[in-house]
Amino acid sequence: MNQIIEISIPQLLLALLFILIAQITSLVQRLGLNKDITIGTIRTVSQLFLMGYALTFIFGAQNLWLTLGIFVVMVFSAVFIIRGRVKEKQIPYEVPTFLTMLSSYFLTALFVSWLVIGVHPWWEPRYFIPTAGMVIGNSMSALAISIERLFSQMRQQRDVVEMKLCLGANYREASAEIFKGAVKAGMIPSINAMMGVGLVFIPGMMSGQILAGTDPLIAIRYQIVVMFMLVGSTAISSIIVMRIIRRRCFGQSEELLVSPE
Amino acid sequence: MQPLLEIRDLSFGYDKGSRPVFEHLDLDVRKGECVVVKGASGSGKSTLLRLICRLNVPRSGEILFKSKNVAEIPPPELRSKITYVQQIPQMTDATVRDNLLLPFTFALGQHKAAPDDATLERMLDAFYLHGVSLDQSALKLSVGQKQRLSIMRAILNEPDMLLLDEPTSALDSDSAAMLFSIIERLNTEEGKTLVIVTHSEYQPAVPQARSCTFRNGKLECA
Repeated sequence: MNQIIEISIPQLLLALLFILIAQITSLVQRLGLNKDITIGTIRTVSQLFLMGYALTFIFGAQNLWLTLGIFVVMVFSAVFIIRGRVKEKQIPYEVPTFLTMLSSYFLTALFVSWLVIGVHPWWEPRYFIPTAGMVIGNSMSALAISIERLFSQMRQQRDVVEMKLCLGANYREASAEIFKGAVKAGMIPSINAMMGVGLVFIPGMMSGQILAGTDPLIAIRYQIVVMFMLVGSTAISSIIVMRIIRRRCFGQSEELLVSPE
Repeated sequence: MQPLLEIRDLSFGYDKGSRPVFEHLDLDVRKGECVVVKGASGSGKSTLLRLICRLNVPRSGEILFKSKNVAEIPPPELRSKITYVQQIPQMTDATVRDNLLLPFTFALGQHKAAPDDATLERMLDAFYLHGVSLDQSALKLSVGQKQRLSIMRAILNEPDMLLLDEPTSALDSDSAAMLFSIIERLNTEEGKTLVIVTHSEYQPAVPQARSCTFRNGKLECA
């Protein structure tokens, strides 16, 4: 089967049955999720339709600056989402996070689309934007987990960190365990995904390619590149962002600035 | 003789624009002295100790240690010379030995010779920690034992000055008596300079003792 089967609007509406099941479950079990499911459904449909039209336009326009502009907006949105998930409001971390994500994800997307896939020009939107989207989406979740873990552990273990500082530790030594734990917590989902891929689940991108008629042997190559890219970009961005944020948790005199809980 | 520690016109408040905890505070501590700082809860006693070792930064004023502004001393070096022992003793999830040798694992302490087990065991006895094994978990000790262990750990780092924050606040009377005895020995026998914050009526039985009290944001010394 090489031809993709188009999903008609009535067929799309049929898929709403799944949402209906979720709504009924929430109602019967009194989960109180009906409002969230409704908003989620509306947002999924509207956001994806908007994205579909936007991508059609961008793919047609074939403009370098438009492609890069979309990339910047995607990174900015990711930082905004991370900000919503992280409770800490005292230590400013948004600007370094944005700049690190922007530079490291750009290099990753560039490396993959230009050198690994070998597409010309390197910014060909059909390759560059989905690649960047996967990197940003995956690393965004990892960073949100890592940053939140770092701040919460700094708050919880404040006395232990200060005890080490008082015994002559520098700020890196005093927070080494917390730092390691936070980076690991962010990276574990990507590493687990490498363990389960092909056995437990077929990733979204590969499923999409197969459904669109791509030979599975080609689809797996793309997926392998994507899996490696996601682990690598998550590791690079986590280490850089977390090192900057950790420094910001301490003042000039290496005094801990994170307030107790 | 030049004081070991000189505090000049020190003011501190938590947030910009908030009421200061204290203002224009002056204090000299000479080598070998045992200064006891008293005052009501929230008067700024613990804050004063935290400012000396720069766990907090003052609004204005200066603190000199051996005539050098503490702000200019690299923080790890400053804190290993002036070691602050917290009110609630903190141990890592490791053995008593690993907790005691913690300062020797940091970059600053790696060049120092770590004490051997025989030395540590002798010190455990001197700190009334008979029966405590170097191999047991430090987290399983009582609060009183942890408090003595945390002072012992600070001493192993050979500081010039020890800052003890309410060292007996969580202890029963027997444990408190043991701790007072240790504090007095550290001062008289080992010549350690001590600044002790307490809200109790404790007066160390040592010749070099001096008492200061926080009253209405001012520190009055005898």
